[in-house]
Amino acid sequence: MSSDSSSSISNDGSTDQNPNPSPTAKPLDFLQERLASIALTEPNGGAESPSDQEPQAGVSNGSFIEEIQEVVQNNQAAGSEAVVEEVSESFTHGVVWRDNSEHEVDAPSSPSSSGYAGERGSSSATSESGIGEGGEDEIREVRNDDSVDGVSDLQQSWVPGKRHVDEDDASISWRKRKKHFFILSNSGKPIYSRYGDEHKLAGFSATLQAIISFVENGGDRVQLVRAGKHQVVFLVKGPIYLVCISCTEEPYESLRSQLELIYGQMLLILTKSVNRCFEKNPKFDMTPLLGGTDVVFSSLIHSFNWSLVLSGAQKASLHPDDMLLLSNFVMSSESFRTSESFSPICLPRYNPMAFLYAYVHYLDVDTYLMLLTTKSDAFYHLKDCRLRIETVLLKSNVLSEVQRSLLDGGMRVEDLPVDTSPRSGILSAHLGQHKVPTESPETSREEYIGVGGPFGLWHFIYRSIYLDQYVSSEFSPPINSSRQQKRLYRAYQKLYASMHDRGVGPPHKTQFRRDENYVLLCWVTPEFELYAAFDPLADKALAIRTCNRVCQWVKDVENEIFLLGASPFSW
Amino acid sequence: MGLSSANTVVNEGFQFCIFDLRRGQHEGQELDKILFFYPADLPFSTQLSVIGLSEGLITFTRIFSPEAACEVIEAERNSHVFHQAEPDIWMVMVVEKSKESDSIWRIDALRRVLKEVHSLFVMFHGSIRSLLDKDPSGELVRSHLYAFIMDYLSAFQKRSTWDVCCCDFLVGKKIKLPSFRDCLKERGTVQMLTVGREAALEVQSLVRVLESCAGNAPCYSLVLFQDLLVSTTLSPDDTINLFTYAVLRLAPNALLSRASSWSYLRKGNTASQIAAASVMASSGSVSEQFYGSRDTSPHGGERSHHVVRPLQHNKWYKGMDGFLVTDIWGPEVGSMVSATPTVLLQQTEERMYLCVYQHKSLTLILLFPISSILNGEQGISVVKQQIVENASLKMLKVEEKLSKGWGGENAYHVGGYRYLLVDGDRNVSRASPPGKVTTLTKESLISLSNLREEIDLEKSRAKWDDPGHEKDLEICIRAKNNAWVIARTTRGKELYMVLEKANETLLFASDAIEKFSNRYCSGAFSLD
Repeated sequence: MSSDSSSSISNDGSTDQNPNPSPTAKPLDFLQERLASIALTEPNGGAESPSDQEPQAGVSNGSFIEEIQEVVQNNQAAGSEAVVEEVSESFTHGVVWRDNSEHEVDAPSSPSSSGYAGERGSSSATSESGIGEGGEDEIREVRNDDSVDGVSDLQQSWVPGKRHVDEDDASISWRKRKKHFFILSNSGKPIYSRYGDEHKLAGFSATLQAIISFVENGGDRVQLVRAGKHQVVFLVKGPIYLVCISCTEEPYESLRSQLELIYGQMLLILTKSVNRCFEKNPKFDMTPLLGGTDVVFSSLIHSFNWSLVLSGAQKASLHPDDMLLLSNFVMSSESFRTSESFSPICLPRYNPMAFLYAYVHYLDVDTYLMLLTTKSDAFYHLKDCRLRIETVLLKSNVLSEVQRSLLDGGMRVEDLPVDTSPRSGILSAHLGQHKVPTESPETSREEYIGVGGPFGLWHFIYRSIYLDQYVSSEFSPPINSSRQQKRLYRAYQKLYASMHDRGVGPPHKTQFRRDENYVLLCWVTPEFELYAAFDPLADKALAIRTCNRVCQWVKDVENEIFLLGASPFSW
Repeated sequence: MGLSSANTVVNEGFQFCIFDLRRGQHEGQELDKILFFYPADLPFSTQLSVIGLSEGLITFTRIFSPEAACEVIEAERNSHVFHQAEPDIWMVMVVEKSKESDSIWRIDALRRVLKEVHSLFVMFHGSIRSLLDKDPSGELVRSHLYAFIMDYLSAFQKRSTWDVCCCDFLVGKKIKLPSFRDCLKERGTVQMLTVGREAALEVQSLVRVLESCAGNAPCYSLVLFQDLLVSTTLSPDDTINLFTYAVLRLAPNALLSRASSWSYLRKGNTASQIAAASVMASSGSVSEQFYGSRDTSPHGGERSHHVVRPLQHNKWYKGMDGFLVTDIWGPEVGSMVSATPTVLLQQTEERMYLCVYQHKSLTLILLFPISSILNGEQGISVVKQQIVENASLKMLKVEEKLSKGWGGENAYHVGGYRYLLVDGDRNVSRASPPGKVTTLTKESLISLSNLREEIDLEKSRAKWDDPGHEKDLEICIRAKNNAWVIARTTRGKELYMVLEKANETLLFASDAIEKFSNRYCSGAFSLD
């Protein structure tokens, strides 16, 4: 493919002397055409008529360009229909869109809006807090602990899977989605789109490809485009291109790592050997290979709202990213729940080229056991293993312990010991035994009744560097709605990106940040990283003292909340 | 291979183009859209590919963000910074992220360079669109842009250390752009001299006398002491433009640099002369290439029209009467006297005569509407004479008073602090003297530069979310090198700070801001 385009361009070398610009303009036209085809479908776009592009199609000489022309024409056809549709829409719903975009967070039609709090455990992350029993078990849904929002409703409101399939790039509603994700091949073929029908997005996909290859032809690689509130983030992985278009406030680094995870999820399903298919045939269509896995991607993307992946040097040989992707794969696929399964998977951080086999069995509604093997014929052996493990777990009551600990929840900011006297052995406060502050002054008690922990503490995340594990507090009021939780995660994302200074060099040491929504404190030492959120009116000195107490508290209950001395996961 | 040969040129590390989306939309006429391109000797294919990418992304981003098209492209090796200067007229700067550490910058700082060069251009020549309307072939605007921007970028001799606001960029063949080292500066703002009440009254009465000298004609004035603004009667935008120009070319320091480069000039080989001359030559040849092959150009003779180059170096001199003179605007028709410079005010869209008087450190800039001065140059010299007669004594007095009160180039140094204070509503900034900023370590400066980039993003998001809403934000970072790097924004004011020799506790740092705020910002950043 690239040789095609470069050879067509090499003709232009002569144009330095030749004032006639038409040959030069070809690579340019190409991008312009791509864009014209989109502009066509703009409701009030003053773009050229489709017929303008016909003659240019004839000029093209490379097979690559011809293919794109095809796509352009298809898109034009689709586009012209869409215009009609849109115009009528704009008459009837002009106001509603505006409304939608502002309140998208609450609109039931939008996936990003849903209260998916019941699933927030899909952040393997948060659920680590209360339990320490076993590797796989840590990754699971925490379901029944949110009585306020009503789990069943929430489950209904976010149904995993793709929606708005009727949309395409000509729809205003599609253009207003807050966060798009696209996977495409380097020949511009769409592989996955979060919103809309991939087939209808062929033209749009070709435009993304054109942008990437245009910059590549200039000897560079495009990473980010900013426009107003929008960021367009590009990630090129061999023959696979990934693009995110977002107007959320997430930092570039976060969006980029989300693209990395999506790529990882794809590898988990297909392995990297899919690259070979592209080497053999650049026009290879990989959608059939991913058939039916839409739900896995949309579930992963949804989890970006709730999951924090705190990356760092890994001691365990199962990388957290792999764990996250694996759990997302299992939990998003309904079939795993109904029967024991044996499925080929790839752990991209472990070995992106190789398939492993995962034996998956749900022990109860929340708990599943996963056994990994390299042997493709080990199903019966693993089934046998599972039976034995299950028996032990049942006999020792571990499963019901797990259930109970889920119900009890993890650390709560309300339970933070506030007495200044030297503590004599803190009890398992995180297990739900409310510790009534005895010596706290009246004012401070008033301050935190019903509004999180003492001194305006709302939430914290503590990561132990040595153990490479982290604990975060349960969400307490006022961070109880899913919308507020999402906002807090986004604030943490920014804080994280800022502390880690674009990933260059070691992180900064301390950060205090106050805006309209929060006081955030971050503290990085060789031992731990602490992220804490407070009421925006919190007193600075008290916030600092509170952070010190949180660290002390976590250290006091370290044995209960972290997996200590576990042997590294190895093959 | 066209594009790969282009690559080697791209490696030079800096490109700057201006193009018009309304032009050259038909096949074969693409070159029409290019109004300016640096380096001018880049093959047209490469120029068109830079512009094509920009144009493509402007269209693309409008799909999702119709209200704000592409602002920046970050690629692995280059940043492309966009600025829509006028409707459909875009300026794009492509800068290479070289291995050299100085290529760490804030996008907003680069965009301010684009804004500055455009506003200055408009002040002297009018809008790009108006020049295009005057001469649809584009030749007029191209020749003006080439001369103007190359003068803007062109070489500059050693600068005085406290010349904080404006600088030229072309050092030798290399463009020196604002980098992280300039993170305690804010382009596009004015630096003010703090004056006591008595001096302020003197200045006021001087301004009144000056205004009366023009008779019935309305008159605007700008008073500078050294490179600092003392008083202005112009609108904020016009003030910034004239202040910027004054610091670049008129203030005593700018004239001094002329004097120091005098010997080079006589030898006839100052870099700026060569650069500017070669620009003129190349812009000529560009026009030739543009039009030689096409029928639309009536004749080549038009190129000989005089292009005024207000940013040309070493062109202002102090005359016998205290007024600065220049031959930039050419001789007055039929005489040996140089024509009086004129500028266009943004606010009133009126063309004004520009008269500059200088006494020691004091620079007075006076503007009279062309329409109100009868007899042109003759009328101006009458006004000048009036000023010398009526105001020179007052000017002496004011200069003396301000000199006495002035604390020298470190006047605004605050021990222990390195700071930048920006009042966005008034477009005024004050900062630690550059000589003091250079004592900071590179790590601290990079940390602050990155923090400012973060704040820039927050500010622009806030602008889109709720235009009337001022972002209230406080960020204190204990950086990896143990310096405190601080940003505070509140009610349109911004404070940036680096404390290198500070205690490690956050409370100490907060205390330091509080003290600074109470003492130097009337408590604007103090917590209630």
